[in-house]
Amino acid sequence: MSASVTGGPAVTGRRSERETVAVGTFRRRDAVWSYSVLTVVSAVLAAPFVFMVSIALSSDATVQKAAFTLFPKEFHFDNFVRVMTSDAQMATWILNSLIIVTFACLGQVFVSAMVAYAFARLRAPGKAILFTILLSTMMVPAEVTIIPQFVLFREFGWIDTLLPLIVPHLFGGAYNIFLMRQFITRIPRELDEAAQVDGLGHFGVFAQIVLPLMKPVLVAVGVFSFSWAWGWFFGPLIYLNTQSKYPLALGVQFLSGTSTNAQTPPYNLVMVGALFLTLPMVIVYFFSQRYIYQVNLGTGSAGIR
Amino acid sequence: MVSPWLVGFVVFLAGPMIASLYFSFTDYALLTPPVWTGLDNYIRMFTADPVFWKVLGNTTYYTVISVGVSTIVSIALAALLNKPLAGMRIYRTIVYLPALVPLVASAMLFAWVLAPDAGLINRALGVLGITGPDWLREEAWVIPALILLSLWGVGTGVVLLLASMRGVPKELLEAAVIDGANPRQRFFQIVLPMLSPVILFNVVMGLIGSFQVFGQVYILTGGGPNNASQMLVPYLFEEGFKNYRMGYASGLSWVLFAVIMICTAIAFRTSSRWVFYETEVR
Repeated sequence: MSASVTGGPAVTGRRSERETVAVGTFRRRDAVWSYSVLTVVSAVLAAPFVFMVSIALSSDATVQKAAFTLFPKEFHFDNFVRVMTSDAQMATWILNSLIIVTFACLGQVFVSAMVAYAFARLRAPGKAILFTILLSTMMVPAEVTIIPQFVLFREFGWIDTLLPLIVPHLFGGAYNIFLMRQFITRIPRELDEAAQVDGLGHFGVFAQIVLPLMKPVLVAVGVFSFSWAWGWFFGPLIYLNTQSKYPLALGVQFLSGTSTNAQTPPYNLVMVGALFLTLPMVIVYFFSQRYIYQVNLGTGSAGIR
Repeated sequence: MVSPWLVGFVVFLAGPMIASLYFSFTDYALLTPPVWTGLDNYIRMFTADPVFWKVLGNTTYYTVISVGVSTIVSIALAALLNKPLAGMRIYRTIVYLPALVPLVASAMLFAWVLAPDAGLINRALGVLGITGPDWLREEAWVIPALILLSLWGVGTGVVLLLASMRGVPKELLEAAVIDGANPRQRFFQIVLPMLSPVILFNVVMGLIGSFQVFGQVYILTGGGPNNASQMLVPYLFEEGFKNYRMGYASGLSWVLFAVIMICTAIAFRTSSRWVFYETEVR
């Protein structure tokens, strides 16, 4: 497992004593050097995190004076209650985010899986052309379609509702379909055929045979869709006007622009929001990393050609 | 079974793309129907809008430096994290964590990391006796500041590189050791070529993502000072959704598309010279 890349090899048997010693000291020096670089880098990368917690726990007075410290000196855990009750509508924002994210994940995972199955297994005229079109759509930046989509949703009367943020997800996403198709092509076809002999139709084969085998890629796509929808900012910004409809990402940004009785925005509460934004990402990642790793090994790290 | 995607493709992609192309040749203020003006938007963009060139320059500057630096940093970090030393799991976690922070959260946080006096960076510089700049309000420093924010999320690329570093066959490295290759030679002549497809993947994804940078700019700088950090998508947002110049904004989106296509094409074109595929027959 520990494929040594830069460390010395274990083939010291035929070497002279002195060489072995030299390799030993080199390794120790190398280890010390690696540890020091990594410690410095980690400290630099971790510092903003600590700072985020520190600001989130600050009192309003500290915010006024911008007298933040890297490590927390005061512990105003009541900030976490305040954002839910009086000073912000964070509970509502979190609920809105959860609604959007649930539909986005379900839509992306199941619809993309079905479409991917069709691309991987079904024979239909024009399939190759459709797949080429699918791949090329991955290159179109979302901004190209955002204005006509805005006009369209405005025609539908969907402005200031969550619908524009949910509905497009229910049709699958090109990258997810591609990722899943690659995964399905590695599932032995004999399994489908055996099931078909046993009398299952295409839908049955998909739902009962292929879908259960796709677990890693389903989890991976679910996590990607989750992180995308959870953190998305541009869409909510253009579609929503009413504060109580905001998802958390937009709510937090809105909160940072408000200054009620204070001169400065309530940055302690904003950072509480930032923590709430970050926490689900960390939890989701830690529960899903081994699946994502499998999918990455299969497709991501095979690179693109 | 393809139909859901096909419907989505027509309604949310193909249709809007055609509409967007059409809008880009019109004067369209949303409340009144679009008026055909031919190439006017593009002519104004390229000849009469000084902000456009600044925006294009800023976006390119930001993208090239942030993708370049994060590529090098992520390769170096992955190499360090791949060493068979105790405690690597902890370091890997710390390196990856910032990549998980949603953009709005990290932008909010960096407002204070980059603040002139209370900011984390300037206080650290102060310890070293250096007076740091007012990162977000000085024209020369605002884009480097945004690049620092993007570097905080370098972990995404590191994770992919680490995964494929483990896929480098042990036999190759052992054979190289027997042939007398030193660690540096093993890294540059075996590991790096084996990683090159992933590096290309990271570079292309980085290019696409960086050209579309929006949230950081919108939240931290609003494109200022004096448009020094104005970039393509925030400019598109301002033109389209604040000034309701939907036609001009559509034109900008096509320019963005073209720029991304050109850069991706360049990355792929040059890749035959530096990307090595295992299964390739030469």
